[in-house]
Amino acid sequence: MKKNIFKILLMCSGAFFASCTDLEEDLIGEIDNAVSIVEASSDFEGGGNGGNDALSVAYSQLRSSGSANHGGYWSIQSVSTDEMAVTQKGGDWYDGGIWIDMHRHTYGPSNGPIDGTWSQTYTAIAACNDLLATSLDANQTAQIRVLRALFYFRLLDLYGRVKIITSTGTDAPQSTRLQVFNFVESELLAAIGIPSVTASMDLSNSPLGVDVNPYRVNQYAALGLLSKLYLNAEVYTGTPRYTEAANAASYVIDNSGYILCGEGCSVPNPGKRPAVDTDPDELEGYAAVFAPNNQDNPEIIWSIAYDAATGGGMNFHVMSLHYSSQFTWNFENQPWNGYSALEDFYNSYDDDDARKAASFIVGQQYDYNGSAILDYAATDGELELNYTPDINELEPNASRKGGARLGKFSNRLFQRQEMDNDMPIIRLGELYLIRAEGMARATGDWSMAAADVNTIRARAGLDAMTTIDADSFLAERGREMFMEATRRQDLIRFGKYDDPWWEKTNSDAYKSLFPIPQPQIDAAQGTLTQNPGY
Amino acid sequence: MKIKLLRSFMLVGAFICFGWAQAQEVSGTVSDANGPLPGASVVEKGTTNGTQTDFDGNFTINVGENATLVFSYVGFSTQEIAVNGQTNIDVLLTEDAQALDEVVIVGYGSSTKKEITSAVAVVDEEAFNKGTVNDASQLLQGKVAGLSIYNKGGNPNEDAVIRLRGISTVGANSEPLVVIDGVVGASLNNVDPNDIASVNVLKDGSAAAIYGTRGSSGVILVTTKRGTAGVTSVDYNGSLAVSTIANHVDVMSANEFAAAGGVDLGQRNDWLDLVTMDGTTKINNVAISGGDGNTSYRISGNFRNAQGILRNSGFKQYNTRASVTTFTLNDRLKIDFNMSYTKRKSRYGFNEALRYALLYNPTAPVFGADSPYDFDAATYGGYFETLGLFDSFNPVSIIQQNTNNGEKSEFTYSANFNFKIIDNWDLNAMISQQSSKLLNKEYYRTTSLWRGNASSPIRKGLARLYNEDQEFKLFELYSTYRTSIGRADITFTGGYSWQETTQYDYFLSMGDFPNDDLQYINALEWSQDLENAGFIDINSNASPEDRIIAFFGRASATFDNAIFFNASIRREGSTKFGANNRWATFPAVGIGADLNNYLNLNKIDLLKVRIGYGVTGALPSNNGLSKSLYEPADGRLSSNQLTDANPDLKWEEKAETNYGIEFAAGRLGATLDIYTRNVSDFILERDVDVTIYPTGRRWENAGELKSQGFELAVNYDILKSEELNYNSGIVLSRNKTTLEKYTIPQEMRGSLGAPGQNDTDMIRIKEGEEIGQIWGPVFTGEVVDGNQVLEDVNNDGQLLTAQNNALDPDGDFKVLGKGTPDFEIGWTNQLSYKNWDLNAFFRGAFGHSLINTYRAFYEPRVGSQGSYNFVNTELANPEITNAKFSSLYVEKADFFKLDNLSIGYTFDIKENDYVKGVRITASAQNLFTITNYTGSDPEPALQDRGSEADNGGFTSTAAFDPLIPGIDRRSNYFAARTFTLGLNVNF
Repeated sequence: MKKNIFKILLMCSGAFFASCTDLEEDLIGEIDNAVSIVEASSDFEGGGNGGNDALSVAYSQLRSSGSANHGGYWSIQSVSTDEMAVTQKGGDWYDGGIWIDMHRHTYGPSNGPIDGTWSQTYTAIAACNDLLATSLDANQTAQIRVLRALFYFRLLDLYGRVKIITSTGTDAPQSTRLQVFNFVESELLAAIGIPSVTASMDLSNSPLGVDVNPYRVNQYAALGLLSKLYLNAEVYTGTPRYTEAANAASYVIDNSGYILCGEGCSVPNPGKRPAVDTDPDELEGYAAVFAPNNQDNPEIIWSIAYDAATGGGMNFHVMSLHYSSQFTWNFENQPWNGYSALEDFYNSYDDDDARKAASFIVGQQYDYNGSAILDYAATDGELELNYTPDINELEPNASRKGGARLGKFSNRLFQRQEMDNDMPIIRLGELYLIRAEGMARATGDWSMAAADVNTIRARAGLDAMTTIDADSFLAERGREMFMEATRRQDLIRFGKYDDPWWEKTNSDAYKSLFPIPQPQIDAAQGTLTQNPGY
Repeated sequence: MKIKLLRSFMLVGAFICFGWAQAQEVSGTVSDANGPLPGASVVEKGTTNGTQTDFDGNFTINVGENATLVFSYVGFSTQEIAVNGQTNIDVLLTEDAQALDEVVIVGYGSSTKKEITSAVAVVDEEAFNKGTVNDASQLLQGKVAGLSIYNKGGNPNEDAVIRLRGISTVGANSEPLVVIDGVVGASLNNVDPNDIASVNVLKDGSAAAIYGTRGSSGVILVTTKRGTAGVTSVDYNGSLAVSTIANHVDVMSANEFAAAGGVDLGQRNDWLDLVTMDGTTKINNVAISGGDGNTSYRISGNFRNAQGILRNSGFKQYNTRASVTTFTLNDRLKIDFNMSYTKRKSRYGFNEALRYALLYNPTAPVFGADSPYDFDAATYGGYFETLGLFDSFNPVSIIQQNTNNGEKSEFTYSANFNFKIIDNWDLNAMISQQSSKLLNKEYYRTTSLWRGNASSPIRKGLARLYNEDQEFKLFELYSTYRTSIGRADITFTGGYSWQETTQYDYFLSMGDFPNDDLQYINALEWSQDLENAGFIDINSNASPEDRIIAFFGRASATFDNAIFFNASIRREGSTKFGANNRWATFPAVGIGADLNNYLNLNKIDLLKVRIGYGVTGALPSNNGLSKSLYEPADGRLSSNQLTDANPDLKWEEKAETNYGIEFAAGRLGATLDIYTRNVSDFILERDVDVTIYPTGRRWENAGELKSQGFELAVNYDILKSEELNYNSGIVLSRNKTTLEKYTIPQEMRGSLGAPGQNDTDMIRIKEGEEIGQIWGPVFTGEVVDGNQVLEDVNNDGQLLTAQNNALDPDGDFKVLGKGTPDFEIGWTNQLSYKNWDLNAFFRGAFGHSLINTYRAFYEPRVGSQGSYNFVNTELANPEITNAKFSSLYVEKADFFKLDNLSIGYTFDIKENDYVKGVRITASAQNLFTITNYTGSDPEPALQDRGSEADNGGFTSTAAFDPLIPGIDRRSNYFAARTFTLGLNVNF
């Protein structure tokens, strides 16, 4: 009897155990591989980064790698320069002192944004590597190699000594800055399909195309990036490559159909308040290049597509403007009152410079209906919301209204948290400046720069410069490239990054390379070493 | 075979029937040393046939003539008396203060208290916390040494944080496993506190190891009340309670604010007063129990209507529970059936209103019509708003205009079949299912500045919907065999457990509604966002079938009724791990000895020593950790990698050794437990080398924790007489947890947040150091130009106090406090005199500090932010005009409080009255607290969810991080003081 029961139990449990020790995990709500969908048409602006092709998975990394928002690549490239600062406004914007450190060059390996930029950039590289491991055609492969080279260019510029990873999941030793430079150069040359840049190079066998599409890489975008690399080569490697910089830029200027957006190049002003007569109906010239509706601008060779609904990642309006400026354009969200331009930088513009009005928001502010905006939280008794170019101090009690605000990427009425303006990576205006500087440095004669500089100045409505030197060139470049994250490179190249400026005295030369982030050194478990000086 | 079985059952059945044919009536009186004992249980052994004594201790019962009667009463030794034809049996029960023979439920079986070789605590109904208790865990708060239960702020819609012996895992599995009537992993929310008979807490690894995977944080075994056959009883409990704010953070009054230079907008308001109120809570419980012959039942209904101290917050809940026990197949098969259903309708309200009430300008008007300047009140629903100030919203508008409601229902049933194959061998099968549904609905009006985007002309109003369905299935089969070999009694248990959980949820958020005619959460088709789908946020998720499967066995042996041995093993697997690491083995062994059995010391009842060792595990919270997962990106045309796979992820293991001494002598009882525990391979999501792992974050077996501690429980009957009794008990515990090994040497976590204090991490996590170190610069007490002068901690002549330098060897930072308490104490006092009884329960925690974030943000007299109110505690230094985190905002939060004071009166009811018993109680909770902490609640903050959302953003839904205790965030509710009147009637 006992035996029988036991047998039955055993039989039952036998059947039971066979089916009931199953521990296979079947994920029904998650996708465990990368996806790219090619859709026939898409009518939203930016169109999934402009091309509905299989490459979106990598191009979208341009937006998620801090190219135009707070706390990443753009912030550390910009706040570390004399262009702008994030002042501590009493209880607001101290944030552990990270922005004060960034401004004063007292940053160290634990700085959060320096760490975040490293992570975001490598995440973007991984997306490129993953895509390159799939079956792409020659053109697609070349595009993604250029895109990846852009991200390595950023690492080269920011940190210098990094790991060159070309396949996800495999480690690589830390390279020297020279090795990283050589890698970026060789990748770009290979993608363009040329052995080297010369005045007479032949691109007829390039895997890259020549069609205009600001969201995809063509020959001109790749050459533009290469010219930027060569321009800074001496900083990175000690070996000047200015001739090649000038030749690469010149090729684009001479052979492509891109034009400087000047007189007659305009778009309707999306920030025009119906009740305010002084708001222009059209944005023309320089202002049009950075407008919310700049996607078809003829000057832009390669840009990052931003879109309020589908392509978030640009937040300049909320990052910079005072809380109450919400009511000028009736933004959906309250701005944060963070970034403002330094007074000296603002004052470096001639009042007739079209770029001054296009780049800054200053003075008394008016709301959507044209009434003066008052700041009722003001404790200084001055209720008017009036942005003064002057800022009383960097910290701790900077004026809430101090500093001209960043307005180059201009505002759309009712703009949401995310902006619609596209961010140029390569535009013709900068290539003129690269050619000018390349020729001047290659020959040692700054007058060689005059023609191209004056082309740029003319577009801004300014008279030609008669004499030109390194300082006046740098100042001109600064005015043209404000907010485009090139200032740090420029100051370093001109030997001025260590100079004192407003509320900044540090002159340590080693600060021109950011530290390798400490969390990354920790995570790499011995395979990364710190940059000198830190 | 089947026929044979049936035949044998019939035979046994016939025998039992024959026995009943000889039934007789037995009556008598049960008494103790002091006289008749009302309410004592009289049960015919081996059946559910039973009764209770009346008020005079009398009973009458019909039994078979060969029956044995079992007489029992809580706190007394159980007696068995064979009827042997007697018609009158009078029994004198003797007190057994330490109740050594009390049956204690342990995993997959029961044992007597004496035989247990591990740290197990039992709390029965009598010892539960009194007053208004809406959450079952609150019954136990402070009652069990080593069990920390904190509902910081006491939000009625939030569950308490429960920790046993401190932190035992860094993952999401840090709360003890709950087992209700044998259902492993059951929901504590689906049992009404009034239906709980007793709670056992398995504290150490040797006891919990039989539950394997999820035993690391301890096991709480809940036994619900059951009926007794033959006694039909109707029990009513009702209570009415009023809660008021016990404490809040001190801020300036409107006049003080204006005098201190704040922006005076002309009015004088106490915002806290406007958003809070005295909350009333009504609780009604009815339970009917009884039974007949072989079957007993209990059915209860519990109705709760609670209002929070925050206006427009609270919940209504009804719960019903039914249990039936029946014996069949000649009493060889015992079937227990339980069913419980809970429905709770919550008004969560907005905790943010409490925060804004403190910091909103106290001179600002409530309504726009009273604005000192032109103000477009219609746009903001008639309310005033301080436009142009960051993170400042009219708190009255927040709670009056918007809604945040939820409905949750939980249904559980379980059926347990216990079949006695032969007398000493039985087989147990349990099946249980639990389903829960949650629906949360938020609606922000088009005129609400806060989250409703009232100032945007194109996008107003916001609706958010969250729906979640969970299913849980459990099947367990085990068998127990008992035998005696010589002087040893041995019990073997072996079994199998299969459990599956699935979840489906979806989230919907859309805005831009036409007006406020409707709560558009109920009419989402009116959202303009439907015309621009990019602004709709939709998310749905289905979990895999998440299974845990285990085989387990246990042997326990008792020699001489004095030496006790236990060993168990569990082999368990989970779907959450990669193929190579799915299964793990969790062994345990324990040995104990009653030394007094050999020493025979005078007046000593028990002197037991015991040692237990056990290994338990902990599961990660997420699914899919062994794979890389992707989220859609870029207009849904491509993907972003979301997580990095770790196919090698393996079980986290906790090995614990527990040494215990139990002592009993007359009126005194004491238990001391000392333990060490090592948690190895703990599972944590952490930063990894982004050059190799594209997301830079991965779940890994990241390190080791080591804890040491002790727990002491002492209980003494100070007074004991017929009329006057006084019992006092103290539980005391200490725990210290060290991070033995970590993948990186140290890191900072726990950011203070906005405004202005982002990237200000305050908790250091360092290898070799204790968990929960508050780490920051030191304020010297001197203020220069409004800035705190900070200390040059290392005396190197340079001051490095920016966040950047926190872990710099040259940085001037130090340990400012510790988030977890050193000591926790609970002191119970029970006094009874005639019909009166008095309960006073004190509770305290010592050695922990809290970062008072309200002060860190709003106490500095920051000039340019003079439109916020200023926090103004006794520690405020008005010279400081610049906000910077330092030791100034880290406060010792030691406290000792009168947690619970209740007084009861039991009426004398004449015999044969319709009513059997009436009792009234009055109680007060949180009556006073002794502390120097200036925040609203000094209870420890054991975990953290990161800095709260600002400026109308939404709070993170990230999991709580137990590695960063000690931060008292601004989003906490304010502690309440509650007064309760209760009535208990027994029919």
